[in-house]
Amino acid sequence: MSETRKPPERESIPFRNPGWAGNTGEFELSEREVRGDDYVGTRPADGGHPSRATSYPYMLEKKDPSAPLFSGSYRERYEKILTRYPDTRAALLPVLNLAQELRGHISQETMTEVGALLDLSDAYVRGVTTFYTMYNKRPVGRFLIQVCTNVSCNLCGADDVLEAFLEHTGTELGGTSTDGLFTVMEVECLAACGFPTAVQINSRYYESIEPGDVPALLKHLREQGAE
Amino acid sequence: MAYPYTHERETRVISRGFGEPEARTLDGWKALGGYQGLKKALEMGRAEVIDVVKASGLRGRGGAGFPTGVKWSFMPQEKQGPHYLLCNADESEPGTFKDRELMRWTPHQVIEGCLIAAYAIQAEHVYIYCRGEFFETNQVIARAVEEAYEAGLAGEDILGSGVTIDVTVHQGAGAYICGEETALMESVEGRRGLPRVKPPFPAAVGVFGKPSTINNVETLCAVPHIVVHGGEWYRQWGTDESPGTKLFCVSGHVRRKGNFELPMGFPLEDLLYDVCGGFEKGRKLKAVIPGGSSVPFMTAEDCKDCSLSYEGVVEKGSMLGCASVMVMDDRTNIVKQVRRTVDFFAHESCGQCTPCREGTTWLSRILLRIERGKGTEEDLDTLVDLGRQMTGTTICVLSDSAAAPVISSIEKFRDDYLALIRRGEAVGTA
Repeated sequence: MSETRKPPERESIPFRNPGWAGNTGEFELSEREVRGDDYVGTRPADGGHPSRATSYPYMLEKKDPSAPLFSGSYRERYEKILTRYPDTRAALLPVLNLAQELRGHISQETMTEVGALLDLSDAYVRGVTTFYTMYNKRPVGRFLIQVCTNVSCNLCGADDVLEAFLEHTGTELGGTSTDGLFTVMEVECLAACGFPTAVQINSRYYESIEPGDVPALLKHLREQGAE
Repeated sequence: MAYPYTHERETRVISRGFGEPEARTLDGWKALGGYQGLKKALEMGRAEVIDVVKASGLRGRGGAGFPTGVKWSFMPQEKQGPHYLLCNADESEPGTFKDRELMRWTPHQVIEGCLIAAYAIQAEHVYIYCRGEFFETNQVIARAVEEAYEAGLAGEDILGSGVTIDVTVHQGAGAYICGEETALMESVEGRRGLPRVKPPFPAAVGVFGKPSTINNVETLCAVPHIVVHGGEWYRQWGTDESPGTKLFCVSGHVRRKGNFELPMGFPLEDLLYDVCGGFEKGRKLKAVIPGGSSVPFMTAEDCKDCSLSYEGVVEKGSMLGCASVMVMDDRTNIVKQVRRTVDFFAHESCGQCTPCREGTTWLSRILLRIERGKGTEEDLDTLVDLGRQMTGTTICVLSDSAAAPVISSIEKFRDDYLALIRRGEAVGTA
């Protein structure tokens, strides 16, 4: 953006999320620390109360494209989902969400399997899957980095943030880095316009990100990915 | 802990839990007076709840501003099958970030509003259609729903009243169009989010073919307070036509960005220069989009004496929408930002109607050509002509929304376009 605004490179991990605390925009508390484990991160394996079963699939780091649809606790969540709607078709989106949580993307085979579960044709499931942008049609990296470049963030330099992510991960837009760690994409407005630039990495929001934050953030993710 | 920014001119009714970690839990919310509205509503009876909301003059906060009580009264009185309430939490209008805050800071406020509304319209099931990208928000609201079930506030025989209302948090999968009411219904049914032709209206044929009502998160958040304090109490703020308070989401080039709850009719200039602290040194206002990407641009001149109410913004040639105030100072490249907006609509068009599917892409291509300095003055006429043909010719208003910023920016910032066309020079860098 303009020359007047050259942020220094930060060494700390930018977990800043001004929606959560402080009016300085500079804080280190994660949601987990603010809210406690009960709210973030942990969840009964079977999905808890049926009202919850249809929501919050995670974008898991570890993806298993050959995981069965569905067994164990996932089977329980699947069955709970079905109880929340008057017909099985309505369960399609939550079930696709669940499949993506498990497998990381929705392949043609996954569409067929989901269709068989819910008694819907392949073509129908494909039609729905391709309509919604959050279903990855191709495998993605361990960390799916989505940078908001819509107007509010764009005014505050989102293009530079996106550029920094591409440069420091060495990928092209929409591509996955050779080590399989990062996929970088543009995303439409993440509804965090007051805290530009908003970046979503897997299921987590990182807010008020500036180009200078990117190297430290990626370093942190690399360490996490090596675990 | 102060919420990112607060200001003494705010009137914090629905946002008073922002920045208060306790407000997120059931006990904390009850300590703030939570669930008193639900209790009172169950004692009042359905017709009276609708009357109170009508008396308050509350208007839908999702953008259209339709009176909420009137909307509820469209639902059949004689029940002949299930009724549904849909809570529209698919917040994705660029510039809008209020529903996410409401849900993650005050999830029980949302749930209480849903339960009261569901009771009033005799719905037995509420679907909270939460945007797919909101993983964290989804967890928060879903956990709160579970708490409500455990406390006997949702599910069977709520608070011993014999009323049964189920609540399900339904996660979307990334489609802006699903914020349109009938597209959202299609999506809940497990289909592609294609808006439906109206009539029939949702109150007659809604989700799963049954009578349904759909309300925005912010609208439902105001309901418990109105039920507790009465319609007249809510009218102490705002104007006759736009009563109450509203969250204003301010983004872009102001010093203090964020959500500010202000009475309707608040002066726009006071919002920009007082509440939000004005601009960086040496910068001045160039343009404002007062209601999210879908509404026409306002110039600095238009902002003078503009009252932030539904009618006040219309007077200045734009719309309040969901009060997402996007502020642009004098380093803004208007052409680039318009092109970015149109790209968004081209991406999000569902593809059902030709004027929108083709029009958004054409607009985007022509704008990109101009942005790259290869446009002609004729292009501007083509853009306006195309925009006009996209207005009022499609099933939903996404097409109109894409055309509005193009037409209004050409009208109001023609010189910016001409600088690119004649000299290949962009005005502004941001």
